[in-house]
Amino acid sequence: MEEQHILHGDAELMNGLSALCAAPGVKLGDASKPEPAQVAAEHHSVDAFGNAYHWYRLVEPGALVPAAHLLKDKGARLCMISPYNVRHMGEMQPEVCYHFELGGVVYNLTAVLDPKRPAVPSITPVFDNADWHEREMMELFKISVEQHPNPRRLFLDEKLDAGILNQAVPLSVMMNGACTTDLWERILAGKGDKA
Amino acid sequence: MAGFLKVLVRNLMQGPSTDPFPLGETFTPQRLRGKVHINPNLCMGCGVCRHSCTAGAIDIRQLEDGTGFKITVWQNACCLCASCRHYCPMGAITIDNNWHSAHAAEEKYDKVEQQIIRYEPCSHCGSLMRPLPLERVRALYANDDSLDPKLLRTLCPKCRQIEDAKRNSCKLPGAPGKSASANDDAATPASAAPTA
Amino acid sequence: MSAQTFSMPLGPVHVALEEPVYFHLDVDGETIRHVSLTSGHVHRGMEAMATQRNLIQNTTLTERVCSLCSNSHSFTYSMAVENVLGIEIPVRARYLRVLAEEIKRVASHLFNTAIQAHVIGFKSLFMHVMEVREMMQDVKETVYGNRMNLASNCIGGVKCDVSPELLTYIRQQVEKMRPAVAEIRDIYATNSMVLGRTKGIGLLPHDDAVRLGVVGPVARGSGIAHDVRKDSPYAAYMDMDFNVPVYDGCCIHSRTMVRLDEVMESFGIIEQCCTRMPDGPVTAPMRQIHVAEACARSEAPRGEVFYYIRTNGTDMPERLKWRVPSYMNWEALSVMMRDCAVADVALITNSIDPCVSCTER
Repeated sequence: MEEQHILHGDAELMNGLSALCAAPGVKLGDASKPEPAQVAAEHHSVDAFGNAYHWYRLVEPGALVPAAHLLKDKGARLCMISPYNVRHMGEMQPEVCYHFELGGVVYNLTAVLDPKRPAVPSITPVFDNADWHEREMMELFKISVEQHPNPRRLFLDEKLDAGILNQAVPLSVMMNGACTTDLWERILAGKGDKA
Repeated sequence: MAGFLKVLVRNLMQGPSTDPFPLGETFTPQRLRGKVHINPNLCMGCGVCRHSCTAGAIDIRQLEDGTGFKITVWQNACCLCASCRHYCPMGAITIDNNWHSAHAAEEKYDKVEQQIIRYEPCSHCGSLMRPLPLERVRALYANDDSLDPKLLRTLCPKCRQIEDAKRNSCKLPGAPGKSASANDDAATPASAAPTA
Repeated sequence: MSAQTFSMPLGPVHVALEEPVYFHLDVDGETIRHVSLTSGHVHRGMEAMATQRNLIQNTTLTERVCSLCSNSHSFTYSMAVENVLGIEIPVRARYLRVLAEEIKRVASHLFNTAIQAHVIGFKSLFMHVMEVREMMQDVKETVYGNRMNLASNCIGGVKCDVSPELLTYIRQQVEKMRPAVAEIRDIYATNSMVLGRTKGIGLLPHDDAVRLGVVGPVARGSGIAHDVRKDSPYAAYMDMDFNVPVYDGCCIHSRTMVRLDEVMESFGIIEQCCTRMPDGPVTAPMRQIHVAEACARSEAPRGEVFYYIRTNGTDMPERLKWRVPSYMNWEALSVMMRDCAVADVALITNSIDPCVSCTER
C-alpha cells in the first residue's frame, strides 16, 4: 500500500479537498500525539486490486460543509460516516471519518473534533443520506451535529444516555452472549468434572 | 397464468420434494458442520483455537495437580464457524456431520466435547511436558536423518537445546553417538544434563 | 385532520419478513400520505462487540450480522483487514471468494423473489421459487457445510477449499437451475397477478434514488447503473464476464427483474469461477499490525457493503464500522410509499429486500 504507481481520481476534486486540509505535519490538538502516518494531512492508498482510496484530514470540522458541496457538485455519493475515538494516554480524541465514492474511487475526509465539546456541522442538507449516519453518531458517540434537520433518536430508546459507545459496555456479559468465566464454571461443574 | 399452470402441473406430477424426516433419512452432506471433536493424541494445548473462537466456546485449563490439561468445547456456544479447525496447527480439531443437537434444557451443560491430556516426563530430566506426536516430529525433521525423531519427541525443550548444542559443537569423546543408536535414553551421557 | 385522515401504526413484527420495524403511516382513506419509521428493535451493539474481539474472531462475528448476506460481511471485513495490513490474497482464494459470494447472491435474490409471491398471496409460486432455491441451498450445504453461514472467508484467503469434484457438482446444479430460473423470470415478467401488484407501484424516481444514495437492485431498478463489482472490481471480478442489469421502471417490478436477471448473470460468474480457477494456495500469511486505517467495499446481494477499520497495533481493532445496503434503502421507502395503498406497504417493503438486523447491527 506504500507505493502507488497510478493515482486514480478526479484531479480538480482532489485539489479542492487538499485545500481544505491541515498543513502537512501540523499536530492536531494538544493531547493528541498522532503517529507520523496519521499526521500527514492527506495520503493516498491503493488496495491489492488497484482501487484507489484518498484520505484527507480537514483543517477543522467546519471545513466539512465546503468539502461536502465540492463532492456533491462532482456527483459523489456519501457511503458512510464513521465516528470513533482515538485513545492517547487515557485521553479520548474523537474523530469522524466521512467516506464518499465517485467513479469507483473512495474519498475519505477526517474531521478532528474538540474532545471537550465534540461537534460537527450537519451535511444532511447537502447529502440526504447523511441523516441516519448523523443521528447514529449523536446517540452512540454523543457528538453534537449542528443544524441537523431531524435530530431524533435513530435506534436507541430516548431513556438511554447518548454516547453509549464511548463507554466500554460488556454487552456480551449482559446478554449472556459469550461464555464468561462464571458460565464456564457451571459448564465444567455440569460435566461432573472427572479431573 | 398458463405459464404457471404448466409449472404447477409438473410439480404435482413430481410429488413432494421434501424428505420424510423424521420417519426416513434426510439429506446430510459429508461436509456439513455438525459437532466439534478434539483428537487428544494431536492436541498440544497451544490455545490457538480458543484465540480464534468468537463465541468463547473453548476452554483450556491446567489440571489442578499439574499433570496435564483439559480442553473443553461447549457445543451450545459453538457457532460452527470452523475457525478452530482452520487455525489448529496440529489438525487436532475435526467437525463431523452429526447435526442432531436437539436436547432438553437440563442437559445443556452435558453438551461438551472434553479431552484430558496428560503430560509425560522428559526422558532426560523428568520434568513434565507435552510431547509432540511422532508423525509430526518425523515431518518436522524429515530433511535431517542424523536426528532421531523418537528421542527428540521425548525431550523437553531445555534438554533438546542441550542435546542440540552437544551435537553441533561439543564433538567430544563420549558425546552421544549417531542418533540412530541413541534410542536408549539411559545411555545418554549426563555431561550437560540439567539437574532436575 | 379530516375524518378521512388518520394515523396508522404498522409493525413492528411481520411487515414483510419476520424482522421488526415499526411504520407510522398517515393515511387518507386507503392512501398513504406520509411515512415515518421507528427502528432499533434488534440493535445489538455489534460495533462495540467488534472492538472487544480480535481480528480473527471478528471474521465470524461479522458473518453473523445478517443471514442472507452473511458471506458479504465476512468477505468485506476480510478485505478491510487485508487492506489495513497490506495482505495480498492468492489468486485461487480470489476465485473461491467470488464463487461463494455468487452462490449466496443466487439464494438471496431467489428468496426475496419468493417472498414477493408470498406477500402477494400467490402461495404456489412462492413454494415453487423456494423449491428452485433449495438447489442452491443444497450447494451451500454440500460445499460449505451450512445452509446460511458458509464460514468460507478468513483473513488472507478462504478457510474452505473446493475440490474438483465439488466444482463439477456446483456446475451440475447450476445447469439444473438455469432453465428453472429462466422459467421463473418469465412468470414474474408476464403473470398478470404478479404484474397487477408490482408494475408501476412503489415508485422511486431516478432523482430521488440519487438523492437518497440508494444502492443495489433498488438503485438499478431506478436506472442507476451502480455496481461495485464493475465500478471498482475486487477479488476476481475483473476477470469475470458479466452484465449489470439496469431497469428504469423505478417500481417494484423493475427491482424484481433486476434481481432475476442478476441471478442469471451470477450463474455465468459461478461457471466462469469453476472453469477458470487456478490451482494454488488458498491463504496468505498474516502480517504485522500497525496503527493504520483502511476501508473496503463490495457488492452484496442488496447493494454496496462498506467497512472501515482502524487498528492500533494490537490484534483488537480500535474501531470497526460498517454500513449495509439497507441502511439507505429504508429512507427510500418513504418516497416509495407516498400515495400508495395501505395494502401495498408489505410488498413495497419487501421490494427493497430489507434487512433490519443488518441495518441496526
